[in-house]
Amino acid sequence: MPDGSYAHPQQRQFNPYTENGGTILAIAGADFTVIAGDTRQSEGYSIQTRYAPKVFRLTDRAVLAVNGFAADGNMFVKKVKQRLEWYRHAHAKDMPLRAIARLIQTMLYAQRFFPYYVYNILGGIEEDGSGAVYSFDPVGSYEREACRAAGAAQSLVQPFLDNQIYFKNQQLPPGQTRPLHLSLSDVLSIVIDSFTSATERHIEVGDGLEIYVVLAKGRGPQGLEAVRGAQELTTNAEGDRVFIVRRELKKD
Amino acid sequence: MTSIGTGYDLSASTYSPDGRIFQVEYANKTVENSGTVIGLRVKDGIILAVEKLVHSKLLVPESNRRILTVDRHIGMATSGLLADGRHLANRARDEAYNYREMYRESPPLKEVVQRLGLYVQAYTLYSSVRPFGVSTIFGAVDKTGPALFIVEPSGISYGYHGAAIGKGRQIAKTELEKLKLAELSMREAVFEAARIIHLVHDDSKEKEFQLELSWIGEETKGLHLPVPKDLCEEADRKAREALETFE
Amino acid sequence: MDHFPTSWGRPRTEAYDAYNTFPLHQRPNPGHKDAFAEGVQRTQQPIVTGTSVLGILYKDGIMLVADTLASYGSLARFKSIQRLHPVGSSTVIGASGDMSDFQYLQTLLEELIIEEFAEADKHELGPAEIHEYLSRIMYGRRSKMNPLWNSLLVAGKKDGKRFLAYVDLLGTTYSASTIATGYGAYIALPLLRTAVEGKEDTLTEEEARKILEDAMRVLFYRDARSLDKYQIAIVNDEGVTISEPKKIETEWGFAEGIRGYGAQIQ
Repeated sequence: MPDGSYAHPQQRQFNPYTENGGTILAIAGADFTVIAGDTRQSEGYSIQTRYAPKVFRLTDRAVLAVNGFAADGNMFVKKVKQRLEWYRHAHAKDMPLRAIARLIQTMLYAQRFFPYYVYNILGGIEEDGSGAVYSFDPVGSYEREACRAAGAAQSLVQPFLDNQIYFKNQQLPPGQTRPLHLSLSDVLSIVIDSFTSATERHIEVGDGLEIYVVLAKGRGPQGLEAVRGAQELTTNAEGDRVFIVRRELKKD
Repeated sequence: MTSIGTGYDLSASTYSPDGRIFQVEYANKTVENSGTVIGLRVKDGIILAVEKLVHSKLLVPESNRRILTVDRHIGMATSGLLADGRHLANRARDEAYNYREMYRESPPLKEVVQRLGLYVQAYTLYSSVRPFGVSTIFGAVDKTGPALFIVEPSGISYGYHGAAIGKGRQIAKTELEKLKLAELSMREAVFEAARIIHLVHDDSKEKEFQLELSWIGEETKGLHLPVPKDLCEEADRKAREALETFE
Repeated sequence: MDHFPTSWGRPRTEAYDAYNTFPLHQRPNPGHKDAFAEGVQRTQQPIVTGTSVLGILYKDGIMLVADTLASYGSLARFKSIQRLHPVGSSTVIGASGDMSDFQYLQTLLEELIIEEFAEADKHELGPAEIHEYLSRIMYGRRSKMNPLWNSLLVAGKKDGKRFLAYVDLLGTTYSASTIATGYGAYIALPLLRTAVEGKEDTLTEEEARKILEDAMRVLFYRDARSLDKYQIAIVNDEGVTISEPKKIETEWGFAEGIRGYGAQIQ
């Protein structure tokens, strides 16, 4: 309009979401699982902090990595932990991994029409002692997989994992068969390589790396002895065990 | 007791033929049998002191406090049923909060006391409720200076220079009247308060009691705080000594 | 929220209908509205605003700084508004964004502190608790699509532990040894990080103050919504102190030779 006003009422909607960058990843072995995430939190081109954890120990056999909108992520983790505590009070034991996976689906889908804008990867040990990874979309669709990457550098890391874990596009020498499961030391190398590479090529990835290793009950620490600075977080020595390994990533 | 068996004392909503509400008078009886509570309004502040009767040595010291905080600058001490006192404290906190929200300034004590009086009075009107079994001494330093009030089970409230409720109120009042309250400093008043509580305590009837002391004024920058431990102990000791020389 | 799938519109490709939902039943009034929607007012944009707040860790505690301006759009409307606010005896918060929302938060915190004081249980809320409380409030309001339009810094020291963290209108939180809100995140933060990171445990109060004053000067030169009057809040073992407003020393002599500042020379 000539007077500078608008002919139609204008609506600018408040956007309740943002993206806080970062990448997470999890790989399941035969009797272990590795869950990792970088520690950078950013918004746009600004690095907000170089240390904001995205991976959380839920129980001695379950670790949850959360990526996307940090405020939703933190709130979601807080509520999952609360539900697990209530379960402990009611049943005097930790919730099994597959039950946590279904719980997470239910909690995510409950917010179907105002979703938690987060991609979840749950890793740990099943009741049968096998390593497991569950991946979720923001509204709760989920599946069990051998490996999964999510977040800002998913498109860089997932193809690498497809190649290294699932041996996609690899022509094996005649007579050689591919192993069904990789060793822990191989998996740790792949995880660290994934993050150093993602840090090189993606601006939202870097600063620090937190790697959680969950070992099935009775499994020795083979593959972990040589790892520098592995720290045990297990609360009950009888069952599965959780370790954390920290590494620096480039900060530029 | 003339009221018993007449049928006029069964409900707060029934008058006796001579115009009394026995349920309220019974509530006052509850207070009369409880530990003494006094309040002093002095030159630059308020002192609250309580003779908290301890019925068991197994109780944790300093538990079941009879002095409660309503707002930064408002304290209260109850005599009577402890749980009723706590309920009133919560109501007083709500009233203080509402005043703050409405006027964006700290509530004057008179306002809180008047609103609390209305609340207490409402419990003298209905057959379905029991009047509060507490008298409460409220103290504050507000924009009018130091202020001291009593709210009784009937809902009535008066302002005082020195206030006493509970078992030993008569002796306490005579002692308070002897003091020049308007000239006393807060520190001096703490010693007087402790002395009076010790004086009214009846060793032959009650075994143990704990002295609870709090103050509001220049010493506390206007906050309602417990009297510091060392001063409290000193006052307690001096009070015992004074009693021995007195007897 | 309209839960009727028929109101959600057509799939992206008109030609391809994977779910075989065509023809969809069209609702008579697809754009139906909540009858009460127009009676509800929500903050859709900030009105009277404060600009950056900066915070750094130093040897003995935490330091926050903010200027004293509250702008009304581009108008420097209120020139002596305090944007640093003490909460309890070991915490201070600094606010940028909408000043009325900030004042509302102040009253919430005042009530919270009085409630805790009335407990008289010898416990006091520290900076971590205040930050958690604020982040719940902020996230709760954003989830109601009715945000409090602020970016806040929470700083404090309790039981010998320093604390500095951020929370904003989305409920986003984080902690770091140097934080800046608003334009400060672009202009001042790189300077602060260079000066502070790795030296959090050695910087003296004087050095920390100098770092913040220099950053505020740069902000005043470049942020059009800033003022050369600022306050510094310090939290250390002695508690919270908020300074009186001070002027930033500036030098405009260079402007003479620059087109757009001084007299125009062809």
